Amino acid sequence: MRRALVPLRPWLLTLGGVAIAAVYLFPVYWMVISSLKANPELFAAVPTLYPHAPTLAAFRWIFERENVGLYLQNSAIISFSVTALTLVLATGAAYALARTRTFWTAAMVVAIMAVQVLPPPLLVTPMFVIFRQIGLVNTQFAVILATTTKVLPFAIIMLRTSFAQIPVELEEAARVDGCPRFIAFFRITLPLARTGYIVVSSLVFLLAYGEFVYPLSLMNRKELQPGPVGLYSFVGADFADWSDALAFATVFVAPVIVLYMFLQRRIVSGLTAGALK
Amino acid sequence: MSRDRFLDSPTIWALLIGAAALFLLLLVGYPIAYNLVMSVQEVTLGNLPSFSRPWVGLENYRQLLADPLFLLVAKNTLIFTIANVAVQFVLGLGLALYFQLSFPASSFLRGLVLVGWMLPPLVIGAVWKWLLGSDSGFVNYALQGLGLISGKIYWLSDPSLSLLAVTIANIWFGAPFNMILLAAGLAGIPADIYEAAALDGAGPVRRFVWITLPLLRPTIYALLSLSTVYTMRAFDLIYTMTHGGPLDSSNIFPVWSYRMSFELFDFGGGAAIATAMFALVLVVALAYVRSVNAERPM
Amino acid sequence: MKRRTFCTLATAGSASLALGARPARAATTVSLWHIFGYSTEPGLINIARFNASRSDLQIDGKSIPFGQLSQQLVKGVATGDVPDLITIDNPTVASFASQGVLEEVGARVAASRILAKDRFFPGSWATTISQGKQFAVPGEVNTLLFYVNQDLLRAGGLDPAKPPQTWAELTAVAAKLADPAKGKYGVGVSAIQTEEGTFQWLPFLQQSGASLKTLTSPDAAAALQLWVDWVQKGYASHDILVKRQSEMTDAWLAGNTAMSLSGPWELPRILRDVKFAWTVMPMPVREGRNIHATALGGYVWAIPKGARNIDAAFQVIEYMLAPEQAARSFAGGRLPAVQDVQPPTDLPRAEVYAAFEGQLQYARPRGPSPEWPRISEALQRAIQQAVTGQQSAQQALATASATIAPLLQRYPIEGM
Repeated sequence: MRRALVPLRPWLLTLGGVAIAAVYLFPVYWMVISSLKANPELFAAVPTLYPHAPTLAAFRWIFERENVGLYLQNSAIISFSVTALTLVLATGAAYALARTRTFWTAAMVVAIMAVQVLPPPLLVTPMFVIFRQIGLVNTQFAVILATTTKVLPFAIIMLRTSFAQIPVELEEAARVDGCPRFIAFFRITLPLARTGYIVVSSLVFLLAYGEFVYPLSLMNRKELQPGPVGLYSFVGADFADWSDALAFATVFVAPVIVLYMFLQRRIVSGLTAGALK
Repeated sequence: MSRDRFLDSPTIWALLIGAAALFLLLLVGYPIAYNLVMSVQEVTLGNLPSFSRPWVGLENYRQLLADPLFLLVAKNTLIFTIANVAVQFVLGLGLALYFQLSFPASSFLRGLVLVGWMLPPLVIGAVWKWLLGSDSGFVNYALQGLGLISGKIYWLSDPSLSLLAVTIANIWFGAPFNMILLAAGLAGIPADIYEAAALDGAGPVRRFVWITLPLLRPTIYALLSLSTVYTMRAFDLIYTMTHGGPLDSSNIFPVWSYRMSFELFDFGGGAAIATAMFALVLVVALAYVRSVNAERPM
Repeated sequence: MKRRTFCTLATAGSASLALGARPARAATTVSLWHIFGYSTEPGLINIARFNASRSDLQIDGKSIPFGQLSQQLVKGVATGDVPDLITIDNPTVASFASQGVLEEVGARVAASRILAKDRFFPGSWATTISQGKQFAVPGEVNTLLFYVNQDLLRAGGLDPAKPPQTWAELTAVAAKLADPAKGKYGVGVSAIQTEEGTFQWLPFLQQSGASLKTLTSPDAAAALQLWVDWVQKGYASHDILVKRQSEMTDAWLAGNTAMSLSGPWELPRILRDVKFAWTVMPMPVREGRNIHATALGGYVWAIPKGARNIDAAFQVIEYMLAPEQAARSFAGGRLPAVQDVQPPTDLPRAEVYAAFEGQLQYARPRGPSPEWPRISEALQRAIQQAVTGQQSAQQALATASATIAPLLQRYPIEGM
């Protein structure tokens, strides 16, 4: 819940907030202005804080050369699917782990936590074997499944924490009233865990959006690839055309920022609702 | 069994956990087993396709420990992990508390900080590599302009500084994650508890220490554990920025494992490092589970 | 303008890519994993032309980022999912071949008229042979020249028409033009701890009169000390330790380095972006030694073991090396591995391409040796130890020699 401090002029805090965001986003700002600079200016001895001769050449080039829309579409399909699948799988597991305490559930938590340490490049070869056995290579579905394994442990742990903070008494009360546990879960517990869901789904979506190793390794067809793989069209074997690459990265990130700005209001209300008793 | 009885029975627990467990077991358990098996075999590109490769027992592990790089990489990994987890947490907490205050656009600005997460690691690594370049990098330029340094700092090319450089970039990358999880945790604390405490005469510091922190404990434990695990697997950023160099000064276990497998084709060695990482992280996971079991329901 | 050449190549490429991207009816498909990421790559254009010209055979190309090539090939080998044809970096042929990953192609090559041995540069041909058997066919090659910013030379009171001929002269010019406080350097090389560092330093070793067998000699130490001095005296940037060749060229393009060592792959973007008068010059020799040696880079075509369509893949290789296709290399910043193709005279700055071609006679391969990755790693380490000042050049090379000598004993390398 919001706490208002002893009266500090709120706008002063906003200024502070803007300063913090500005400092924090400086590397992103650098990326965007670099995409507007011609290549040589990128590496000038005296770095320039704004493009001295701004040019949209890089943007024009990437739209001419690459089917940027297709990459974004693929990224969107994969990311949304991963988020949905993760939430579905994680919800049940997280709730069960929050409410029961046995040796096996503890073991599972340990396993889930530890399993995350292995980086995708190490897992990709055996995963490829599995997908080939079930005939899923070269499909986006395989990428969705693989990416879900990367984010599922995180989702389970975070949602488990959210559920654990909701008192069992609330559900018990509903059951005393004759409501089965399953229904109680949907009508009482789930809404109270809204904050957790918002955080998990945003982070999972972002993680899936930027995933690169699985799409590259599991799919051969260019028309199925998401953005991060497309980025590599601008990073050749011997050199990288950075203004093009950065222009692509900017275009890649922009829709998510726009999406966030639209959803921002709902996210705010979700985060402030908190635990209403 | 009636529908209601079924919904209340342990079977449904098993089913719920089972779905996720099966999924993870298949798609992650198998790769882990695959790596484990590789780590006790002598694996080359020649015998990579088959599973029956020469058994060498713990020889790969022994060679790992005997490798002159082992101590350096272990030390780097330890420093990198502790610095990242600690600083990211403090930074994240500070940011979460700040943006929790009530002022216009606070939530919007907080969300803006997350933008860094959307960028592919290739781009983040490249941008930080430029910012920290000793010649035309902005960081040196700004520091010199502000009069804080006189010469250039060789962030990436000085073996004694490269670990610091990648740590800074990784902290930048990871702090928003800390911030958002802590913000969510803070949002779950009801305001009336604070009001009651304030009425009792508790100042902001006491409220923070005796109310906020204890109530945030589950979130903090989860966050610290996750943060440790994620830091230990940080690979893309370091690989792009310094490749683990110069001279392995910024080499940590995941980077070393990758280079061993895919640059030197010593797959047994790479798998051994990965398995060792897994074992190390089990310690963290066990600590986390103990904290979970100690949770008292609210 | 210059951009248009860039663009027309690409649009021609993408148009035919659109035409040829979908394999036709019941044609045999040759799966090709290649490193042609950027749109100006002549390889992409050739693939599109091939697909447009044949109905019985189609190439299904997959572009793999260069840094991922090794990982993807390993994954392919491990899972049995190998392509029919792959482009690999030339020094890796021997190590892949010795592990049984590549098909032997000697018989097919001998029977082919297009792939006659005397068409190819000898150095490039040598990289495809391991233990007396042939495992690959040269594709495109490259070598090194210094890119020179003539404006900077002139501004420093030097005559751009008289480039430095020896190491001493090069160092003198670099000293004159360097101003590290302002971020300006006289000379640029790449000392990064990857194959690129070895690629750049090896010619200096060879020009000093030493070889991999004589790393502990004063000659070898002199070759390394040259780089050490450049960095310690501020003639070259400290960041050469972490920068790739193309990143060094970035600094050159921005006007921060007077002379930067790199290859023809930079030409398309230099022609597009350069804002000063420039030229190229060969690597200066060591005074008193007069040995001309330069690097030999580039990729080769290889057929992985277990490929399904070997004959078809071989036909693709023959197509790629026919004179018409080979001639397209230059415009994309690459040099064909065949000697009987000359750079088109209507290319902008045609003399630069001719200069690169001229250097190929001195270009020496790295290896071939199945142990090249480890040899290269030892050299990289030595370079970094010396340039960071952690060890003297002699000590660093002695350490490297201790690792390299047994590897050379096991697999002797001709001429190294």
